[in-house]
Amino acid sequence: MKYILLMSGTAAGVEGYHARSTHDIEAHMAVLHRINKELSESGEFVATQGLAEPREAKVVRGEKNGVPVTDGIFPESKEFLLGYWIVDVPNAERAYAIAGRISAASSNMPIEVRQFASYEATSR
Amino acid sequence: MKYILMMTGKKSDFDGYAKWSKEDLQANVAFMRAFSKELKDSGVFVSTEGLGWPSQAKLVRAGKDGEPVTDGVFPESKEFLAGYWIIDVESPEQAYKIAARASQAPGAGAKSANMPIEVRPVLSSHADLGL
Repeated sequence: MKYILLMSGTAAGVEGYHARSTHDIEAHMAVLHRINKELSESGEFVATQGLAEPREAKVVRGEKNGVPVTDGIFPESKEFLLGYWIVDVPNAERAYAIAGRISAASSNMPIEVRQFASYEATSR
Repeated sequence: MKYILMMTGKKSDFDGYAKWSKEDLQANVAFMRAFSKELKDSGVFVSTEGLGWPSQAKLVRAGKDGEPVTDGVFPESKEFLAGYWIIDVESPEQAYKIAARASQAPGAGAKSANMPIEVRPVLSSHADLGL
């Protein structure tokens, strides 16, 4: 079963992260790299991706004539997706265990765990 | 440049989707399939995924001994990721144009749902963080 592990944070949280020393950030990244490597070796790794800064985010809506309408204004409470991991594991508990490791490596940040929609569920 | 287009909604939005008629759901799924095919045909498609319902979402933190502590309680204002597309395009404007098309996917009563789509560049490596 495929699960996605989502790491999110506010713009203020991201600024706080950048205020850390380069050494701290490198140490954090090193642990995440090690987790990725372990997931690859155990055959559970599907994909991972980090996203750009919240200040680069835009919200787009379609208009009647098809012209995109963009807006980059968000409430302070807005939780931005910072990055994700997709894992293929036998059960939810294993997905939670991996999320727990990522959380432990990342100042105990909460990691949201979701299953993927199955083809049947989306085409009913 | 790679961009991610994210569709999100509150739990109340998802409750609304669950009440769509079968025809409306089928029209939406048909649109999404045609949309993904167009992205593939034009060579900008990287990946797409749809996520399970918010009722299945858990928040995980590490406990004292690193064991996972799960919680499934979210504030009503919580925005859940419904699904995403990653595309590889020449400019942000092209990404916004594609996002606007996704926003026009048909919803209840075959009317465009006009859902907001969040667009962000994705990092090609940690070097993008300035490390």
